[in-house]
Amino acid sequence: MQRFAWFKWQALFHDWHLFGQGLVKTVSTSALALVVALALGILFGIMATAPWRGTRLISRAYVDVIQNTPLFTQVMFFFYALGHWKIYPTPLWIGVIGLGTYHGAYVAEVVRAGIQSIHRGQMEAALSQGFTYSGAMRHVVLPQAIQVILPPLTNQAVALIKNSAILATISGYDLMHMADSWSAEKGYYGPAYLAVWVVYFLLCFPLATYARKLEARVARERGGEVKAA
Amino acid sequence: MKKFLVSIMAGVLALAFVAGCSSSTPAPAPAADKKAEAPAAAPLPADVKAIKDRGVFKVGTKADVPKFGYKDPKTGQIDGFEVDLARAIAKAIIGDNAKVEASPVNAKTRGPALDNGEIDAVIATFTITEDRKKSWNFSDPYYQDAVGLLVKKDGGLKSLKDFNDKTIGVAQSSTSKAAVQAEADKAGVKLNFLEFATYPEIKAALDAGRVQAFSVDGAILAGYVDDKSVILPDRFSPQNYGVATKLDNKGLAQVVNDVVTKMKANGEMDNLLKKWGLK
Amino acid sequence: MKGSIMELLQPHLLLFMGKGLLVTLQIAVTSILLSFVFGTVIGVMRYSRHKVLAPIAGFYVEAVRNSPLLLLILFARFASGLKPVNSGIAAMTVFTTAVLAEVVRGGLNSIDKGQWEAAKSQGFSYFKTLRYIVLPQALRRMIPPMFSQFITVIKDTSYVWVVGVEELTGKGMIIMGQYGSTSQFFAIFLFIAFVYYVLCHLLGRMARALERRSILQTY
Repeated sequence: MQRFAWFKWQALFHDWHLFGQGLVKTVSTSALALVVALALGILFGIMATAPWRGTRLISRAYVDVIQNTPLFTQVMFFFYALGHWKIYPTPLWIGVIGLGTYHGAYVAEVVRAGIQSIHRGQMEAALSQGFTYSGAMRHVVLPQAIQVILPPLTNQAVALIKNSAILATISGYDLMHMADSWSAEKGYYGPAYLAVWVVYFLLCFPLATYARKLEARVARERGGEVKAA
Repeated sequence: MKKFLVSIMAGVLALAFVAGCSSSTPAPAPAADKKAEAPAAAPLPADVKAIKDRGVFKVGTKADVPKFGYKDPKTGQIDGFEVDLARAIAKAIIGDNAKVEASPVNAKTRGPALDNGEIDAVIATFTITEDRKKSWNFSDPYYQDAVGLLVKKDGGLKSLKDFNDKTIGVAQSSTSKAAVQAEADKAGVKLNFLEFATYPEIKAALDAGRVQAFSVDGAILAGYVDDKSVILPDRFSPQNYGVATKLDNKGLAQVVNDVVTKMKANGEMDNLLKKWGLK
Repeated sequence: MKGSIMELLQPHLLLFMGKGLLVTLQIAVTSILLSFVFGTVIGVMRYSRHKVLAPIAGFYVEAVRNSPLLLLILFARFASGLKPVNSGIAAMTVFTTAVLAEVVRGGLNSIDKGQWEAAKSQGFSYFKTLRYIVLPQALRRMIPPMFSQFITVIKDTSYVWVVGVEELTGKGMIIMGQYGSTSQFFAIFLFIAFVYYVLCHLLGRMARALERRSILQTY
């Protein structure tokens, strides 16, 4: 296999630091984006289950618009069209904000489903015991919901890491970008993409396996009463 | 019955792999065994004969570089200096300069498309470098060009010296990044780079204000000048373009190189360049 | 009016976009149908606990689910030698097959083990139980998630532009290359997003309606 000739691998190992830098960008962007996604997801997830029609509508609109348009189109929009208002976030921030809002919409659905899986009676009981709405949410409903929420949340983290490769399309110097750039420069695309695939797999597989373990535990403990989304 | 089910599943799975991700379905490329029988059968090398028998020379060109290889949005045809060069090669191999099938390639697609046999040659402003010569055959240079800078007229940037802390858009894999960086280091100017897969994306980034300059080879830039932009007089490190072929296809590489050197010697290359306003 | 949004209001540009939308739909529809077939097979394989087939299916699902779609698209484009649109279909099929396989497996797992034993006691073979009793129930439960996966496929098809397939987003990128003002870029992407939104939103409604109906049918 000429595409995977040994000298091409040698060239790859020689330039390993480039790929290392790419990995750092991928991991840090994903981590920051995950924080954004969690913040937005929890906020809009709670809004979706709140007793006020206004918050439910806002949450519904956010999830609806974001989930029904492609991440790629959103990112292209951020990159090229925001110049209309002279706003130029760096590719990395577009990654953090773009991935954060995109996955935030999915996290919001996960949180909403988690909260709704807790019986309404619990909220009512807590309110009747003198808890405020937010107090009941924080001390009674959310601690139970988190157990149901965690497995699909971990899956969202995996999806987010995979989607972070979109940075490569806006010159984000992430892992995928480094593979593109290095292999186009040298022509040794075989080893570059194979190596990068292995790295992404090593990032995602443990998380995905952990999510499945959690899922199985929830199913056991709740006697299959709740099927995690 | 269980065995029956099992065998059906195995079949479908195999199908899924073939349809999907395996490398077990290479395009019918001129294979090594054909090469073995060639000397006895015909004076033509097997890889060249395969193209002659097929009756069409498949070439990867640019579709977004006016004058070199540009796809007219109205007709859908790709035309340009490099397509004409492909026609000259087709004439030498097949005897008919109309038997060319040009498909667009970019920095990411050109190498793999050569290797998997989708195309016979890349004639797409492909700069010859030592690293790349280890992956593909390159002909002698057929064009030489220096890297330039395209900027917006209203940006107030007059030369590379004004570019401290500015961002420059370059094409992925183009050698322009290194060229501009070297020049900037000499001038003591600090630059940022954004890399893009295609030229129109860089132009859009310039228009959108994401980058302050679009830097690639001068002749490519010329195709992107409009009433709001201008090419600066700065020019760095000349690059040589060559026709690339798959490393195994030595016979084809020889024929291609013969055509290029002959055209350079007898003035045909100059005529072609004049035809496209490149000289 | 050079540089204005009005400059974009031309019939041929709309036609150009329309062609891109057709490519998007072609890739999405073909790959979701193929994935339904392959996904069922691989899901059953993984469910079967067969010594050879289950690990193969497991490897396939994990390898695909844990790699970025962009990489799969590159692999499909360059390792298979397929034409660009077909390579897009191949990549989306490989990816969606893995997702649907897990849906099928989940569906099979959710079916009461007692049904297997009951069928066995009635003289049903393994294959017949699967074919006539278990799989039909699992597949019926698959329809709503398949719809939502279809939406995902339509959206993710936008990625194939990176290997030069001119689907909806790709057409927009090409038009962006020909026009030069930020207000035009803004309009182009807003328009594309709107098309995706209408398409996916309607599909989502259909999925929810189906889901309600299938719940009604089960009880």
